[in-house]
Amino acid sequence: MTITAEGIYKSFNGFPALRGVNLAASRGEFVALLGPSGSGKTTLLRILAGLEFADSGRLLFNGEDVAAQGAGERNVGFVFQHYALFKHMTVAENVSFGMRVKPRDKRPSKAVIDSQVNELLRLVQLDRLGDRYPSQLSGGQRQRVALARALAIQPGVLLLDEPFGALDAKVRKELRRWLRRLHDDMQLTSLFVTHDQEEALELADRIAVMNDGRIEQIGTPADVYHHPATAFVYEFLGNANRLRCRIDRGRAMVGPLILPAPEHLELRDAAGVAFVRPHDLIIGDARAGGLEARVRQIFVAGPAIRVELALLADGEMLEAEVPHGSPAGELIAPNKLVTLTMAKIRAFPDAVAA
Amino acid sequence: MVAQARRALSIAGETVEPAGAAQARRATTEPPLVRWALIAAGVVFILLVLVLPLISVFMEALRGGAATFLHAVGDGDTWQAVRLTLLVAGIAVPLNVVFGLAAAWAIAKFDFRGKSLLITLIDLPFSVSPVISGLIYVLLYGANGWFGPALKELDIKIIFNVTGLVLATIFVTFPFVARELIPLMQEQGRDEEEAAISLGASGWRTFWHVTLPNVAWGLLYGVLLCNARAMGEFGAVSVVSGHIRGLTNTMPLHVEILYNEYDFVGAFAVASLLAGLAIVTLVAKSLLEWRYGDRLAAGRKH
Repeated sequence: MTITAEGIYKSFNGFPALRGVNLAASRGEFVALLGPSGSGKTTLLRILAGLEFADSGRLLFNGEDVAAQGAGERNVGFVFQHYALFKHMTVAENVSFGMRVKPRDKRPSKAVIDSQVNELLRLVQLDRLGDRYPSQLSGGQRQRVALARALAIQPGVLLLDEPFGALDAKVRKELRRWLRRLHDDMQLTSLFVTHDQEEALELADRIAVMNDGRIEQIGTPADVYHHPATAFVYEFLGNANRLRCRIDRGRAMVGPLILPAPEHLELRDAAGVAFVRPHDLIIGDARAGGLEARVRQIFVAGPAIRVELALLADGEMLEAEVPHGSPAGELIAPNKLVTLTMAKIRAFPDAVAA
Repeated sequence: MVAQARRALSIAGETVEPAGAAQARRATTEPPLVRWALIAAGVVFILLVLVLPLISVFMEALRGGAATFLHAVGDGDTWQAVRLTLLVAGIAVPLNVVFGLAAAWAIAKFDFRGKSLLITLIDLPFSVSPVISGLIYVLLYGANGWFGPALKELDIKIIFNVTGLVLATIFVTFPFVARELIPLMQEQGRDEEEAAISLGASGWRTFWHVTLPNVAWGLLYGVLLCNARAMGEFGAVSVVSGHIRGLTNTMPLHVEILYNEYDFVGAFAVASLLAGLAIVTLVAKSLLEWRYGDRLAAGRKH
């Protein structure tokens, strides 16, 4: 199913939650709505599901206007953040609920329902647990029951609200790969909400990065990661150090450093911010030239050495990453004076910077 | 978690523990002297205030022997009182279940203007003396009340009639069901209802298959409390009843009449029936809790 949302506005008690959101998802796509809490991503998902109604804007499923339809008419599978399983029903009863509440003339026979429930439980790898109650299941199992229940109505679109939010790290990773396979096998159209950039980057075909009720950028994971459209997107996807700079004719001046900023050839001496990823921050000898900084903390556990530095100029804290065993590793010791240069930065003039 | 907390806090009930010397000391455990003093104080208080009066009711009732007891209970007016009490409770309790469910549902699941006012109003019968509740009805519907003349025209009698008894009882017992359900429903939130709706269930179906089963135990508890109060209500009912023997006398009122007529055996006999009803209610509640307590707890956590 294709989904088109145009100019969606929504406010709660005068507080705007969505300010003109446009979003399109084509058949078979897996789209992530990524953003911090309060960015409106869950509101958007709930509007798509019909659990919330937009103040204005158009909402089309397969080209048909569904804005006035209730949640039950939209044929949408919704997976809630905390699963919202029916506590007093067994797993099988939960899964079959959507089929059992159909109007009499559309309701499948009991035998058909039973066989579909079994099939769904097999699909989510819970075939033996049909007569358990939700309280007897682990978080990951409940999540899969919620998914099976949503799939039981053969939805045109699957919406998932922070589907892995309540799970521990290991289960989360397993489940999301499994979900991606399931999405591909069943040829679903899915949208999911997350605040975890790693999850969005790994799972989605396209990511819509949301901030403050708007979509800042929509694109493939590679797109949004390597070509962030706004300062917000840059900062939200991956760690970034933030430095004041001046941008002039395709160059950014960060303290004594002059770095290329080819996106801004037309700008003349504008104030802005320069972002630099921790692994692009190069630590040099105190005499090497660059931004002077003092080493504050060193964290050696993990895939790379993480170094916290304070700029001498204004005390601003920066974070750098140094591979284990690299020459720069020799230079760093607590309280030592070093200089910093940058392999790569991304500058945004203040007008665009968030 | 609740059970854990309860265990950690319990001072009485230490008998479940093995008396082993290796037993770990808990942070909340008091010295034995303090423990026994507290337990003794509790037990004595309960005996004096709760158990002794209850026993005395039955003893007084049977003082003249079983025959006198049966004679007093078998009296026509007494039976009339029993039937009237059951009738009033039988009307008031189901109505309050409906009102209470509707109010709790509205308060817990929807946002609307005047919500806090509604919550306050639900508590009104708890904060107002029952006598006043009764007087309000007399003031409104009595012969000289606001609607008195109009009602007389229509030949509808409320005060000194069963209708008045039912109305007064509904008023007094209104909060029991709603009060029990509101926190329960609020805690459960709207997620499950939303899930049901998005799976295609109608509002009515969602209510019967999702909302109601989730609050079933809370509802039952509210009904039992509501029922106990409906049968035992004295103040409000006394004002609107008029004490017409065999017509508007409920059991509590009948007890008072018999007592005032120095028919102590009769008074205590009827009182023992009333106490018996209360005990049956309590036993039923305990049985249900004991039998289904685990499921109740499982239903609440998630």
